[in-house]
This record gives sequence, C-alpha cells and structure tokens, in this order.
Amino acid sequence: MARTLLFLSADSFHACTWSGGTISAVNSFANDADGREGVAQFLEKNRHPAYLLIDVIEEDFRLETVPHLIGPSRKALLERKFEQFYRTTPFRQATLLHRQTDGRRDDEMLFSALTNPARISPWLDTLHAHRIPLIGIYSLPNISTPLLNGIASDHVLLLSWEKSAGLRQTYFNNKRLHFSRLIPINSDSSFSEAVATETPRTQQYLKSLSLPPPGEALDVYVICHADDKHALEARLESDSELHYTCLDIQDLGKRFKAKNSYPDSDATALFLHLLASKPPSSHYANSEHTHFYMLWQLRRMLFGLAAATMLSSLLWGAASIWQGNIYTAETQPLEKQTEQILQQTQQIQRSFANTSVPAADMKSAVLLARKLTRYSPPPEDILHNLTVVLDTFTQIKVNKLEWKVSPADAAPSAYPAQVILFDGELLEFGNDYRQALAYLDRFQQALVQQGYTVGAEKLPLDVSSKGSISGDAAQDESSPAQFSLKIIWRQKE
Amino acid sequence: MSFSKSDLADIKWSLGAFVLSLALGGSFIAYSESYLEKSQKDRQSAQQHLTDARAQLAVVELDRENMAAYALEYNALLAQKVIGDEQRLDWKEGLAKLSTQNRVLDFKYSIAPQQGYTPNPPLDAGNFQLNRSNMSLQFDLLHEGQMLDFFAAMLRQLKGWFILDDCTIERSDQAALKANCSGGWVTMKNRNAP
Repeated sequence: MARTLLFLSADSFHACTWSGGTISAVNSFANDADGREGVAQFLEKNRHPAYLLIDVIEEDFRLETVPHLIGPSRKALLERKFEQFYRTTPFRQATLLHRQTDGRRDDEMLFSALTNPARISPWLDTLHAHRIPLIGIYSLPNISTPLLNGIASDHVLLLSWEKSAGLRQTYFNNKRLHFSRLIPINSDSSFSEAVATETPRTQQYLKSLSLPPPGEALDVYVICHADDKHALEARLESDSELHYTCLDIQDLGKRFKAKNSYPDSDATALFLHLLASKPPSSHYANSEHTHFYMLWQLRRMLFGLAAATMLSSLLWGAASIWQGNIYTAETQPLEKQTEQILQQTQQIQRSFANTSVPAADMKSAVLLARKLTRYSPPPEDILHNLTVVLDTFTQIKVNKLEWKVSPADAAPSAYPAQVILFDGELLEFGNDYRQALAYLDRFQQALVQQGYTVGAEKLPLDVSSKGSISGDAAQDESSPAQFSLKIIWRQKE
Repeated sequence: MSFSKSDLADIKWSLGAFVLSLALGGSFIAYSESYLEKSQKDRQSAQQHLTDARAQLAVVELDRENMAAYALEYNALLAQKVIGDEQRLDWKEGLAKLSTQNRVLDFKYSIAPQQGYTPNPPLDAGNFQLNRSNMSLQFDLLHEGQMLDFFAAMLRQLKGWFILDDCTIERSDQAALKANCSGGWVTMKNRNAP
C-alpha cells in the first residue's frame, strides 16, 4: 500500500512516496514559504497516508521512574509529567522501557519531546491545509530499535549519517532507547572524521552517567556504505572500552526488504523505509495532528464495511436462493405423486356402488347387528339341549319353564347369559327319596354335560344339616317330589 | 476524535457506499428470504397435500374393503327395515298374518312407545342411534314347540328385528300350556340421516 514519506531536518524538507518496499525519487524543499508551496504541490499529487520523520537537534530525552498506574490515573500522571518537562511543545511522548521487578515494581519510562515546535508547525499547517492523512510524527531515534535485531550487546551506540541533518548517535541500553544526539557535519568535515571525533565525546558523556558500567565495553555500530568502510576502519581503533563495528547499509536494506540501493552512507532512505515498513506504535503526533488520518481510516472502514456488507448479503442471499431452489426441486415430485394418488383415489371412488352411506357406517351397522344378535339368541338355541336331556329323563315332569337375559351371569362369555328357572317334579318314586334325589342328580349331571351351569334352588327333600324334615306316619307320604333348578346357558365364543 | 461538519465531505462517498450497501444488501436478503420462505411453504404444503392424499387413499381403500365385506349384510338390514325409522304397520300386518297361520292356539300382543335403547353390556353403536319398542306376548299353546315355531316364523316373515328378553311357560287349565314373553323391536337410525 502506497505511503507518503516526509523527512524534516534542520534546514530542509524532503518528500517521497513508498510502495511495496520501493522509495520513489526524493523531492527536497527549502525550509521557507517557497518550500512549503512546493510541498503543497507534491502533496496534491500524492494524497496517500503520510509518515513524518524528524531528525533535528531539538529533541530531549528524560528517563523517569514512575509508579505503576493504569487507566485515568496513569493518563493524569503522564500529563502531569509532560506539563512538568515539556510544557511548551505538543510533540511529546512517553515510552515504557520496562517495569522493575522488585520493590514497588515501578515503571521505568522514557519521556521525550521535540522541543522546538516552531520548526515543525509550519509544515504541519501545510499538511493540514491540504487535508493530508498524517499517520504520525516520528523522530529518527524512535524508529531505530529494529536495527538492533541480531546485536547481542547490552550497550550499543548506533551511529548513522543523514546527509541533510548530520551524524546521529543513539544509545541503547538493553535494546531500549536511552539517549540520542545529532551532530551537524560541516561541509569541510567527512563522515569518518566526524565519527572518529564525536564518538569519544559521546562516550565521555555516557561515562558521566555510568553507562556502560565500569568494566563493560560500549559497542559502537556505524551504518555505512562499503565505500566508506575502509576509511572508517582506518580511523577507528577499538579498545577495551570501545568496540567499533560497521553495518553495511546495503545489507541492512536487504534485511528489511528495501528494494532501493544506497549510493553512499546517507541512511535517510534506509530510515524512511524502516518507518514505512515497521512503524513504531508511539509517536509525537496527537489526535489533532492525525485527524485526517482518522478520517481516512474511517473512510476505508466504511468502504470495507460496505464491501463486507455486500459480500455477506450476496452470500446470504445466494445461500437462501440455493436452498429455496432445492425446496422447489423437492416440491415438484411431491405434487406429481399427490396427483397420482388423487387419481387413484378417484378411480376407486368411481368403482363404489351408488350409495349415500359411508362404508364406515356400513361396517358399524353390520358389526353392531352381529353383536346384538348374540345378545338375544333364538329360544331353540337356549332350550334345545335341555329338551334332549328331558327326553331321556322320563320321570321328570316340567311344571314351569322361565328364561330371561342375565348380563350379570355372562362371565366368562362377552355376551349376556340366559338364566332358565326350571320348576318340575319327580314321578313314580313314592317315598323313595334316596332314588329320587339320585335321579335328579343324574339329570343335573346330564345338563352340565350339555354345557349348562346348573344349581338346585329347591330339592324334593332337604337332607342338608341346615334343613328341617317332618313326617306323619299315619298318612301316606307319597306327595309330589317337586324341585326347582337354576340353569345358566352361555354363548359359546 | 472530534468531527466537524466539514469532515462529512471526506467521508460522504464512503458513508454513501455503506448506506447503499445496507440498502441493496438488505433488499437482496429480504428478497432471497421471502423466496426461501415461499419455497419452504410450498414444499410443506405439497408434503401436507401428499400426506392428505395418502390418508384419503387409505380411507377410500378401507371403504372399498368395508363395502366389499359389509355391503351385503348392510343391504339385508336395510331390506329387513332394521335401519331407519320403525315400521309399526309392517309389524301389525305381519303379526296379523301369523295369527291366520294357526301356529299357536292363540296369542295376544302389545307394543309400547319407542324409546332409546342401550344394550347391557353396552356396545359401540358408532354413528347409529339404537331405538327399541317393547312388545309383550301372551300365548296359549298345545306344546312348547308351537312357541318356538312362532318365533322362527316371526323372524322369517316379519320386516323388523325382534329381540326376545324372557319367556315363561307353564301349564294351564284352559290350554295345555300358557306362555308370557317380552322383548322389543330394535331399529338403528343413522345420526346423519335426515
């Protein structure tokens, strides 16, 4: 994604574009009204989100240990520190270096600021006037940390040369930025000469801060072109306290996937590439400075949301239509099958006899009639076997025969039983009750064999212990031996 | 982050695109959902129609089976005038005819008003209302066989269905035997019939 890269040094302003690791030709502008007019014209043609990299002397660093706070308390603390240290500039930031591991576990922070806002503000006004989306304002020391990757030393002094600014010396303790200074290089002084002259001075300053601690060496890394390497090595001599190492600017460029090559030791393009490819999260710009970038982000987000909405709507809608088509395809065979079944039904209905009575009612009527028939069997069925038995017992005379329906005696049959009350008398037994009772008993047994259930209601003589017997010896006792039987006839299942 | 009216110019196209995407996307989803809903309803409806048609076919097939199995008996009940309104005139004429056939020495009868009938034990009468008109009979008989013959003839010759509940036969001074019987004329009335 294309970006506009802006570089502000003490005397000039540079602008270029960056896309996919390639930096376009750099346009340089003077630090005056004409220069800003030129920048305005450049920005009119290049309205990409912009990074502003600043490399000026007026940058201050303060190491502070502050209580570990979070939320509004932390914000208020930082604001108080800013007001305390850098009241006059809006370009200020605080970076957490690390949290102490003992005691109150305070935060060690690096406060820094660009202390001469007058140098920056006119350029920002130009950007603002042209509604350029400014991503952030960065200083060169801010963005240098990635260059330390692969360097094991805890005390590093990184040296770089920016043609339009000067020699930049940045000290890192445990890979965390502690201090940086910019030394302008005169036209009659060379890069190697400046390095050889200024490095010991910086070392002396660091020593005054006990950095690095006594006994440890300061590792100096110089970003340079191969052409300058020999000159540097000739002038720089390492000793027990100071170790020099040259970092080839081309190698660094390749490591960070820069597609430009560097003709000399000027590291401006390398740092601009570093800023575009690995921008740090903190910078000097506030929300007012980055207002148009927020709008740019909002615009992109809205376009993104619109695209996502359309895409998801299309997917959702397509899925619904696809599912709907499946349902439609499934519907047709069902309708066809229904049609066939209806035709089959109509064919059957046409074959019915011309009757207004539903078949279910026919069935009900017939089954009801069948069952009711068994509730009331013909008298022949009830009496036939009784008649057959009577034919063989000629000494029994029927006096009265009564039968009636009895649902109470139905069990085990499902249909009502017929209870027959049989009143009769035994003939020609005289006073021989023993034979008469035996004859009656055989009669009952014969009825049982014919399927009846038989019980005696009354016997010619009650010979049970509960009965009473009377007699008159003077009179003939050959009175009729009358009896009464209850005979139950049940339907056969 | 604060916005001013002038910022709207920066985001108007993107905002418009977003609103348009919401409108177009929403419309498309609404259309596709309504299509899906209609398709689903159509399928459910077709499925329901198929189920109904199958059920109807099953009913018709059952009707066909029932008709094949019960039509003859049903028609016999119709012919016997068991189904429908009771036909008292038929009974009267039939009994009068029986009296001329000298099957018994003498008989008398009386028929009570019709009333609803519930068999004991109860039976499922389906769509039919059972009615019954009680009838009592007194016979003078030479022998019990005359009475059995009378009831057999009544069953054969009369239009109607007489259910016999009970009988008492005993010896008599005037005739050899005297019998008292009671029962009822049963009719079945379809509840849907006019």
